[in-house]
Amino acid sequence: MRTIWATVLATWALFAVLAVLAWTRPQPATTQQAVPQAVVVKGKNGKSSIVVVKASASSSHATTRTSPVAAG
Amino acid sequence: MILLAATSGTPVAWLVARAAGLVAFGVLTLSVTLGLALSTKLLGNRRGKLVLGWHQTLMWTGLGMVVLHIAGLLLDPVLRFGFVAVLVPGTAPWRPIPVAAGIVTLWLMLALASSFHVRRQIGQRRWRLLHYASSLAFALGLYHAINVGSDLTGNRGLIFAGIVLAPVLWLAYARILMPRQKPRKTPARPAPVATQPPLADVGDVGTSVTA
Repeated sequence: MRTIWATVLATWALFAVLAVLAWTRPQPATTQQAVPQAVVVKGKNGKSSIVVVKASASSSHATTRTSPVAAG
Repeated sequence: MILLAATSGTPVAWLVARAAGLVAFGVLTLSVTLGLALSTKLLGNRRGKLVLGWHQTLMWTGLGMVVLHIAGLLLDPVLRFGFVAVLVPGTAPWRPIPVAAGIVTLWLMLALASSFHVRRQIGQRRWRLLHYASSLAFALGLYHAINVGSDLTGNRGLIFAGIVLAPVLWLAYARILMPRQKPRKTPARPAPVATQPPLADVGDVGTSVTA
């Protein structure tokens, strides 16, 4: 009988601690909202101009393939 | 519920391992406290049998929680602990010394819990000597909990250590200071009736020798 009581109490304690740990678990960071960015671009004639880059809604990932550099 | 949590991306094994570890240490602390209360006889002789029973049962319950703690660590897909790493001290790939302290605590707990059942075979003196290892198991368990447990870092660890150490240290101090109970003396038997001759006769013998 004592063993049953000990097991029941320990199991309840386990569930209680489990609930607290799950409740206080830091949630994964939400995806950052897309914000447009301003970039300074130097033209062929040496004139600098500001270009506003519209951010896309999709999450940013590092690309695995880069575009070939245009010759000349 | 567990299946739902598992499918929603919650690291169930990791949470179970942490919760079982905390409960195991709590149960071990309770068992050690009861054992010390038993040896200091603070709860009285009448409740001794009941307290001894709970002391043993809690030791086995704590071991069950340790098994669950290990199972959680083995099933966790991130940690990738193997059987050897959780059973052999010093083989863990992560924080080997504090993890080894936890493994030694496990083996000591197993030896202590088993010793209750072989007490008659190993004798009272050896059983008592082995029982002194419970303080080592408690200290190693606390070291493991504070240095490995991700829930007991910084101030939380200090508060936890204070809460669990206070009753154990107080009772251990009382146990050391308390005078040991002396073995019961058997009532002295009445001295056998002397059948010696009266002193006057002895004197007479002496004088007769010297003369």
